Parts: sequence; C-alpha cells; structure tokens
Amino acid sequence: MGIPFNRDSGRGVDSLGIPSEQFRETVRAALGRQDGPPSEPYSALTHNLTDIEAQAQTVRERIARETPELLDRLAATAGLRGWNVHRCDGAEEALGYVTSLVQTLGASSVARSEQAVFDSMPVDAAIAGAGGLCWPAVYEGPASRTGVRQRLAESGMGITGADYAIAETGSVVVLPRRGLSRLVSVVPPVHVAIVRPSDVVGTLDDLFALRRLEYVRNGGDMGSYLNFITGPSRTADIEQTIVVGVHGPREVHMVLLNEE
Amino acid sequence: MTLPQPTRASLFVTCIVDQLYPEVGVSVVRVLRRAGVAVDFPDGQTCCGQPLYNSGYVSEARKLAERTLDILSDKEYVVVPSGSCGAMMRVFYLDLFANDPELLARAKDLSQRVYEFTEFLVDVVGYESTPVEPATDDRPERGSAVAYHPSCHLLREMEVTNAPQRLLDAAPGVDRVELPDAEQCCGFGGTFAVKYPHISEEMLADKVAAATSSGADTLTACDMGCLMHIGGAVSRQKLPFQVRHIAQVLDGSAG
Amino acid sequence: MAEVVTRQFVPASQAAVKDAQLRQALRRAGTGFDGTRREAIEEVSPEVWEEWREEARRIKEHTIGHLDYYLEMLERNVTAAGGTVHFAVDAQQANAIVSQIARANNVQTVTKSKSMVSEELGLNHTLEAQEIDVFETDLGEYIIQLADETPSHLVAPALHKTRGQVAQLFADQLGVPYTEDIEEMARIARVALRQKFLDADMGISGANFLVAETGSLVIITNEGNGRLCTSAPRVHVGLAGMEKVIPSLQDLAVFLRLLPRSATGQRITSYMSMVTGPRRDEDEDGPEEFHLVIVDNGRSRLLADPALRESLYCIRCGACLNVCPVYQRVGGHAYGWVYPGPIGSIVTPGLVGLGQAKDLPNASTLCGACRDACPVQINIPRMLLHLRHNIAEGPESYRDAGSDTGSLLARGFAAIMSSPRLLGVGRKIGRRLLAPMAKGGVLGQSRIPLVSRWTRSRDLPVPAPRSFSEIWRDELSGKGPTGLQD
Repeated sequence: MGIPFNRDSGRGVDSLGIPSEQFRETVRAALGRQDGPPSEPYSALTHNLTDIEAQAQTVRERIARETPELLDRLAATAGLRGWNVHRCDGAEEALGYVTSLVQTLGASSVARSEQAVFDSMPVDAAIAGAGGLCWPAVYEGPASRTGVRQRLAESGMGITGADYAIAETGSVVVLPRRGLSRLVSVVPPVHVAIVRPSDVVGTLDDLFALRRLEYVRNGGDMGSYLNFITGPSRTADIEQTIVVGVHGPREVHMVLLNEE
Repeated sequence: MTLPQPTRASLFVTCIVDQLYPEVGVSVVRVLRRAGVAVDFPDGQTCCGQPLYNSGYVSEARKLAERTLDILSDKEYVVVPSGSCGAMMRVFYLDLFANDPELLARAKDLSQRVYEFTEFLVDVVGYESTPVEPATDDRPERGSAVAYHPSCHLLREMEVTNAPQRLLDAAPGVDRVELPDAEQCCGFGGTFAVKYPHISEEMLADKVAAATSSGADTLTACDMGCLMHIGGAVSRQKLPFQVRHIAQVLDGSAG
Repeated sequence: MAEVVTRQFVPASQAAVKDAQLRQALRRAGTGFDGTRREAIEEVSPEVWEEWREEARRIKEHTIGHLDYYLEMLERNVTAAGGTVHFAVDAQQANAIVSQIARANNVQTVTKSKSMVSEELGLNHTLEAQEIDVFETDLGEYIIQLADETPSHLVAPALHKTRGQVAQLFADQLGVPYTEDIEEMARIARVALRQKFLDADMGISGANFLVAETGSLVIITNEGNGRLCTSAPRVHVGLAGMEKVIPSLQDLAVFLRLLPRSATGQRITSYMSMVTGPRRDEDEDGPEEFHLVIVDNGRSRLLADPALRESLYCIRCGACLNVCPVYQRVGGHAYGWVYPGPIGSIVTPGLVGLGQAKDLPNASTLCGACRDACPVQINIPRMLLHLRHNIAEGPESYRDAGSDTGSLLARGFAAIMSSPRLLGVGRKIGRRLLAPMAKGGVLGQSRIPLVSRWTRSRDLPVPAPRSFSEIWRDELSGKGPTGLQD
C-alpha cells in the first residue's frame, strides 16, 4: 500500500538515529508479531480508485442536494465558533462588506492571496476606493521573502478564499500553495475568508473522503499543508480565562456567498 | 392456582459488616425478608479478597477468591451489601482467574449470579414497585433528610446508577436530598487511606462538607468501607448528621 | 531526558495539598474543563459520544497492534513527500538528532509549539547548551519556560500559576510594567514573540497524530503559534512518540471530534494543521526541510506488556486529570515527571522504570472516573492494579524497606481470612485489645503503628462484640427475635 510519489528527497540531512528496520524490529518483538500486513484489510485504507471515486461521488451528490441547508448550518456553526459571519447575495455586496471592514479598522495595508475567487471579485480596486492598499502576498523569488513577511506583519487585514468550508465544525479549510501563502491568514490581526457555496461540505468525513480522492488522483501528493481555521486565535492558558488574538488573528470574518 | 416460589438469596455479608458492623447485616436480612425473599447465609464465608487484590497481592487474593467461589458455587442469587465487594466478585474475579480456564469458568458463572443489595431488590425482586407504604406527596414532615453517596465501584464497576435512589425515593419517611458533587470519591480507596492519608483527608473533607451543605440528617451509601471512612470524620468532628448503610435506612430500624 | 523526581511523590504531594493557590487553580481548571466537556457530550448525545469512543478505540487498537507495519508506511510516505524520518530509541538519541539537524542548518533561533515529547526529552536544555536560543511560543509553555518550570497539566502547562504569579514573572523577566490584566499579558507575549516567529531558523512542533497513508503530521492548536512555527522557519522538526500514528486520513475525523471536546470542551480548536513534507517548489512559503523524529524512549516496554499496551492509545487530552480526585488535590508537579495524573501514573513508570515510580500506581483510590472520561476508553484502573501487582509480587529490584512488612501483612490477612475460626479468634483478641481504648465504640487518635495513619483524622470502629455470623446462627437462621422466618 502507499502510493509511489516521485520527487527529489535528496535535500538536507540524511536519516539519523537507528535504522528504521531495527526500530521496527523492536516494535515487532514487543508485539510478538511477524513482519507483514494486518491479516484483515483495513477498509479506510483502500487505494482502489474506483471505490474512492464512488465514495467521493456519493458525498458530492449529497452535498449538492443539501447545499442550502449546509450553508445555513455553516453560518450558524461558524457564528458559534467565533466567526463574524456575513452572508452575501453577490460579489458586490461582499466587496461592500470588505471595504466597510477596511474602513472601520482603518487598515491602510491589506494582504490577500491570489486565488480564483478574486477573479470575479475585484477586491484591490474596491479597497483602493476606500483609501486602502490591497496587495497580493506572493513571493517573487527568495529575495522577496523578508520584504513580504515584513509587509504582512504590518498589514491590518488578510483576505483569502476557502478551499473548503465544513458545516459540521464551522471551519474554513485552506490548502496553501502557489498564490496562497501560509502566512496571509495568520499574521495580520484580522482575517477575512470568502466562502462560495461550492466550497461547502457537510462533515469532517466528507472533507477527508474528498481529500483522499485528490491524494490518490495526484499520485500520492497531499500538498505540503492543510489548515483548518475555526474562529479567532485564542488562549486560556492564564487562569482559564479566554483571550482572543494571541499569536493569530483576533478577529475573523466569514463572507459567505449565497451563490457563485 | 399455585403460589409463586419466593426468590431465594444467598447473603455474602462482607467481612467488614461481619466483623465491625453486624447490625448492617441484620438490616439487610430484615429488608430482604420483608421484600419476600428467602435468605440464607452460606457457611464459612469471610473476605472476597478485594483488599489484597487492590494492593497488588494477587496470589494471596486468589486464595480467598477461590474459597469464596467454593462457598458460593451453587447459589442461585448471591446478594452483597457492598458495591466494592460486589465489583470484586462480578468484575475482578474474571481478571484474577484469566489464566486458569477452570476457575475462570466458575468466576464467570458467579459473576452472572452476584448482585449488590439494592440492585437485587430493584432488578430481580422488583421491590421498588411495592413499597411498604405508597409514597405520596403529603409525606409527613418528620421524614428523615437522606443524602446518598454513590460509591465508586458500585457506580463505575457494577454500573448500579439508580437503584439506591429509587429505593430511597420510594421509602416511607425518607426525603432524599441531593448531595453536591455526589459522584466524587470520598477518598477511602482501601489502603490508599493509610498510605496517602494527606490526600485521602482532603477528599474526605470535601465529601463531608458536601454532606453538611446538603442539609441531610443522614448520609447513606451502599458500602460500609466508604461509610467507615466518612463516619470516622463525622464522629471525630462531631458533625450534625449520621452515617448509615442504605439497608439500615430502608429497614428504618432507627428511623 | 527530563529530570525524574517521582520518588519525591509523598513529600511533594504533602506540600501540594497545603498550597491554597494551587488548590484554587486546580479547582478552576477541573470544573472549567470538565464542565464544558460534559456539556459537549450532552450536545452530541451520550449515545453518539459512545460510538465515537468505540470507533477511536478500534482505530488505536488496530494501529498499535500493527505498529511496525504502520510506522513503515508512515516513513515511506513522509519520505515520498520529501521529508526525512529519524528513529530514536531514547531521549539522548532524539536530542542528538535534533541537535545535528540544527547544526547542519546553522540554526541560531528555534521557535517551538507545544510538545509533551520535547518536555519528556528535555530538549530545550540540550539545544540551549549548544547556544541555540529556544523560544516556547504556546502561552502556557512560554510562561513555564520563563519560570524555568515544567508543565503541570497535559494541555494547560501553566495551570498551576495564578494571574498574579504570571504578572510578576513577566515584570521580572521581560521588564514590562506589572499588570494582572490577562488580555494585556497575552498581548505582551504576542509582542515578545512576534518577531521571533518570523526570524527563527527552525520550528519545532509536537504531533497529535501522524497519518501513515499520507505521511502527514497533524497538530491541533488554538493560539496560532503552531501555524507560525510550522510555516515561517527554514526547517521544521516534528517530534512524536511512536504511538501517534493512525492509518488513514479518514481516521482523523473521529479524533478531531473527540480530542478538543475531551481536552477543553471545545467543539473544535481554532486550528488544525496538517504538514506533509517540506514546501513544494511552487509553494509560496513553508520550510525547506521537514524532519520527523519518532521516539521510543521506553514505549516499547509498554507495548510489550499486553496489560499495559492500551496506555499507548492515549491522545493526551488531559480529561483524566480533570476528573481525578487525586490530581485535583496534588497537581501535576507532585507526580515528579512530565506526564501527571491517572494516565501519567501508567506512562511514567513505563518510561522511567516502575522501580523508581512505585508511588504513582498506588496513589489512586481506583475510583474509575478517569476511565469514564477517557475518549478512547483506556481502562486506567485496571492498569494501575496490574502495576500494583508488579510492585507487590514482582522482581526483587522493586522491593524496599516497606515491602517485607507489606507482604507479611498480606500473608497474615490471607491466613486469617482463610479460616472463619481464626477470624473469630482474631476479632475477639482485637476487641479485647482495642475496646478499653475506645470511646463510644470507636477508637480516637491512636499511636499504634499503621492504625495511627487512619486515626490521625478519622475515628476507627472496634470489632463488634458479636459477629454477624454469630448473630445469624443464634437469631436469624430460624425464627428468631426479628420475628421473621426464613
């Protein structure tokens, strides 16, 4: 099992410590087990593309059927988990909400990702109209790294799309990649996530079924990072008192589009 | 028409009741008989082995457990006025004899037949449905205010979660009051109470404070181990409530 | 490895129970965490909760039962994603591995998100000895690092500290004006660590789960520090006990439901981050290198004993601590090592050796609240009993001054209880000896060895004049004075 995935893994330090086979031998001895796979196949590990495809198809069909209810549920749950949920009928209303936020915050610098959602939502122009500067947080080669980071640290808001949103948990899921920095949704003190109806899934199980399909389809590449964001950054480490906005955003807004 | 055969119960009274609190055993017998149960008392019984087992002395515990299996081998129902000893016989004997198929089979057999006293009354006899007097709203004011402490092994090993409360609620002259944080351990824990008295006492202090704040005049439970512990503090501190086994409360012997 | 002071349990717990501030902090955390945990269970319904627990347990049982197989799958897939897996048999080796990775990358500054394994290894001291600056970034961990203390709870490391103590610590160590405003204190930590996050060369994280099929490391956090530690530095090192692996991505769902609810009562944490290898070439950011250090450090001993194996199912939620009447009185530090409370009383003897942690399995009333609270149904009392057995009847090396007395008492008790006649004689002797000292049928404070440990605060009944067996024989077996016939 496990899918061959070809990429160079020649960078950095070689494996240190004891050889993995020796480590596993200790484990096997402790278990009193012979080398080999479990005698009963583990159903959650099937790599049969047809089966996974069928499972994902069932999930997608159910989501399509239930989308209006899922949007309601997402909005309700996300609200409970600390999102400021704003439901919008279209891009224009969404842009209006975002620019009013920028004005309220007095944010002169707003970072955003480069994602398809902004193609039909000219957020740069809208924010410029409100007197702010919205800029894409993308790197132009390693030299720009420090500069982009410093700019992110000085930005009052970060805006991203959502790769998924989970109705069960009220979470926005982002898959950082080209165009979508890991930092744009965590460094600025305010994060705005634009969620389209097609991003919504019902449950954690739905999400992982769909991600598994992508993983197997991609020849075994998960992508380097996957993040659930559910409400603001918070801590209760001093006397169990909840404080929001410790190392991540203190304020998060979910702009939920009612239609694409 | 034939009269139904009375249910027959073999009493395993526990060593602590036998040696220290025989009056509790008398109340157990009286309540069982009043419920129409034919009671016998198997000869030669002593300790089920639980104190040894809980302290890690498994091989010594096995000796006592094996004796107990012998003494109770052919009894239809074994009734134990203790969640702790009951748990030993129902649950832990299975661990104790896990590696001995013959004794394990006998332990399994016993575990099907062993009941804690209140559990037996409610689940087997159906006593609750025929209280001595019907409980009514205009229950006399002179009713005793009784708080119930669910002992840990009764609650979590034997999973007896409501039989004692139901019996108390149906008993005439008993007004059950809620015990705050009732499911918190009293800090007895057998040898724990003498190995780590400083921790045990802290737990005991909270239990005693909860009982005091409940306004009860009587604190009851199904285990004399816990009640010996709590009662030890009550008498030392001359607290304004008494500590009684549930059989004594139901018996009303000092009500 | 972190210093082991488990032998000090008795004096440490004696001091702890007298510490009113600690008690207040424990009470607040215990009722707070446990209260919301119970609400969260009611919300989904106890029936659904049971289904989740059973599913989680099945997954753990299967994975731990085939751990070698899944470790191999994990290693293969981490490697395929461009990461490197290192296996460490003990703390020293794990520390050496992390040090070497740091040296090879010319690391000067490390930011860390919370990792109990790193506490277990004592990693910070190793790195600091090499003049590497290490910054704990979880607020609780940051506090105890400033105080040079160890965590006292699995999920709330600084639970034992009051706001006043933290305020003083911040004033002393960070040179900020004294403030007891908790929001302000969190802001102080944010400001102090902000630039460290962006400048650090290496990020170190723990792992809540390792997904074998995808080679992913999963961390569950609330503050955002975990995201920053795994995103900003050039190198990311993940530390994990070998038991953290689960087979499939789809197995994750149930654990994401159980863990936050059990830990803090949250329905889900603010963040869940899943790391699969280093950044891809086309990614905007992320570390250039990803290393996963998988640690045994005594876990294979727990694995080898079928009676203790399920202790490796633990997901470190801390629910057992919050409901434990002993932990709630003594706090985490009294246990003398990194893992406190009920689960710690099994894991710690397993990892540091039972011989020097004999108090831990004994310091429990076996009340079973921990097992009821455990999201993977770990039967903690059963394992405590097993360890007690190993101590009482196990190898010579576990024996100490008190062992012979204990064995003698146990044998004496068994001998008396094996003979109703001896028991009767014993009771009569006991009564004759104790009754003259008793008042109102009970013994007050007494100087008799052992007995004094009971009577120091509790009266003790003396043996009854007649046993129940005698009363039965004389009065109850036939028609007796009770007026009731058999």
